[in-house]
Amino acid sequence: MSTDSDRLERQRNRNGWLLSTPALVLLAFGATGPLLIMFVYSFLEPGKYGNVIWEFSTKAWFNVFVQRDIFDGTLSPADAHLTILWRSVKLSLMTTIFTFIVGFPTAWFIATRPPRMRTLLLFLITIPFWTNLLIRTFAINQIIRNEGLLNTLLLKLGIINEPLLIIYSDFAVFIGMTYVYLPLMVLPLFASIDRFDMRLVEAGYDLYASRWQVLKRVIVPIVKPGIISGSILVFIPSLGAYVTPRILGGGRNMMIGNFIELQFGQGRNWPLGAALSVILLLIVAVALVVYVRFANRGDSNV
Amino acid sequence: MSAQDGVEARNARKVYGTGQEKVVALDNVSIVIKRGEFFTLLGPSGCGKTTLLRLIAGFETPTSGTILLDGTDITYDPPNKRPVNTVFQSYALFPHLTVAQNIGFGLEMRGHAKAEVDSTVEEMLALVRMESMADRKPTQLSGGQQQRVALARALAPQPKVLLLDEPLSALDLKLRKEMQSELKRLQLETGITFIFVTHDQEEALTMSDRIGVMKSGSLLQVGSPREIYTRPADRFVASFIGETNFLTGVLGKDAITLDAGGTLPLGASTQAKSGSKVTASIRPEQIRVIETDAPGSLPATVTESVYFGTDSHCHFALADGTEVVVRLQSPASGDVGLSRGQNVFLRFEPGALMVLEDQA
Ligand SMILES: Nc1ncnc2c1ncn2[C@@H]1O[C@H](COP(=O)(O)OP(=O)(O)OP(=O)(O)O)[C@@H](O)[C@H]1O
Ligand SMILES: [Mg+2]
Repeated sequence: MSTDSDRLERQRNRNGWLLSTPALVLLAFGATGPLLIMFVYSFLEPGKYGNVIWEFSTKAWFNVFVQRDIFDGTLSPADAHLTILWRSVKLSLMTTIFTFIVGFPTAWFIATRPPRMRTLLLFLITIPFWTNLLIRTFAINQIIRNEGLLNTLLLKLGIINEPLLIIYSDFAVFIGMTYVYLPLMVLPLFASIDRFDMRLVEAGYDLYASRWQVLKRVIVPIVKPGIISGSILVFIPSLGAYVTPRILGGGRNMMIGNFIELQFGQGRNWPLGAALSVILLLIVAVALVVYVRFANRGDSNV
Repeated sequence: MSAQDGVEARNARKVYGTGQEKVVALDNVSIVIKRGEFFTLLGPSGCGKTTLLRLIAGFETPTSGTILLDGTDITYDPPNKRPVNTVFQSYALFPHLTVAQNIGFGLEMRGHAKAEVDSTVEEMLALVRMESMADRKPTQLSGGQQQRVALARALAPQPKVLLLDEPLSALDLKLRKEMQSELKRLQLETGITFIFVTHDQEEALTMSDRIGVMKSGSLLQVGSPREIYTRPADRFVASFIGETNFLTGVLGKDAITLDAGGTLPLGASTQAKSGSKVTASIRPEQIRVIETDAPGSLPATVTESVYFGTDSHCHFALADGTEVVVRLQSPASGDVGLSRGQNVFLRFEPGALMVLEDQA
């Protein structure tokens, strides 16, 4: 009897696996294929007009960290690369933190509205997704550029005497990324705040917790899954951002995404681009592991 | 102990919403709940019991009126500044904390030292008999166990007043009975004032020192269970607390001439004027069924008999058709020996018939 049902169960499992094969194949190739290609390319020689020459070489990896002076051939750390990497990490972190600071009250506000209002507000949050990223970023550009909306307004009001130089700076990139990625923070935060039992706030107050303590000791630990997924959803695309730094950062304030593009384009150094891509992936992986560890640290001994 | 010790509400009024959607949840309620008392608020759904508790806990502020604790006005103190704790109907245990951490939360927030928190938590765990579950999360507990943790959590900071909003309604009958005696024991052991809300009149009668019966935002009557049961102020209280029979008649001197015929003596004097039309009540267990006519009895016809296990409820029709229910102890056979249509006499226990003061 039990062996019969066991066999049936096993067969059902087998059928399940069989049915999901297409998805698994797609996943395997879709997810690991490009990574594998990048990994292999990073150990090859660059071709003269782009592409790669199939010859093993560690030059690309060497060049990521170290540069050789064109004249005397001395070696020094590849400052430019490190600056770009550091800027990418810094801007992404700032964007993640700031979208959280703005996104948390927003998500809280939405989750505590009556149901009809809530649907409307969520709908409004998703509206930016209807427009192409490029166009949205250009819109920001129009607002913050020297002769843009913001400066014109401030000048007319007499608050400033000369235009604020915001555009083509790290700050401009930060503003743009915050704007673009804010919904990605708000939505997962909303999802977990929506599931949060508001009576727990009252229970906290009732047990002598101040507002700040209720936030820190009751709300944040319980909505943590939303905070984690929101942060991940913002941090990862910020780190690899391409369009925003390109349009708002100008040519100078490159992020790693732009720099990689440069290697595959004008730089004609595919292996270096590939090596940088792998590095980008590693940063993301390390950041994720550290972050999730850190975020779960409190669980066992709050 | 001064006269002001305990919780007091003075003309507390609470209105929710505005304009068309205005709801008067509490209508000028005044009450004094003494220190160390087990006080029960009883009333139908929506009568304002939770609202009154929320005013005392500080989750709401009254539209007008004041709330006092030991003579001090606490109307506008936030909940975290009041020595009042709540056992929520839904328990509202913190899902991310263990049982022990839940219980220690209040003390920790008050800034007590860790050692002190730990020892109080131990004590509380023992008090509610949950020592073996200290490290579990609330989701790993049964309803009754969660109930105990909620109780321990609210008791741990040693509040002056404990508010319990229908804490037993989610439990099954057996567990509820167990928790009732547990609650009573805890109240006696700790000496803390308990303000307990329930729908269940039996629960109210067995556990309370005093009961306040509410209806649509007002307190109708406050008194000991015995007072409330034997001398209900009005028709609503009489029917809400236990089953009762209503008989109409004309008031005479210390007696009532019933519309159904016969004159019966009254149990207690009444303020109603002699000669006025009044309603009197008598409980089903205060009536005897007899075979032959005797002084102070009324003829009646059996209309129905309902078996309840330990007792049976027999329905009778009086001469004018008024329905009267009588509770009879079930004999061993379970058959009370009355059949439908049988003509008998009902003898009302002398002094059991009460004129309702409030004839509204
Ligand atoms: N936040 C609120 N907003 C509007 N109306 C409310 C609010 N809270 C309660 N009410 C209304 O106030 C009245 C009293 O509610 P309350 O919760 O005090 O009743 P209750 O006696 O506790 O009822 P129950 O036994 O069902 O819990 C009800 O008519 C209710 O609809
Ligand atoms: Mg209620």
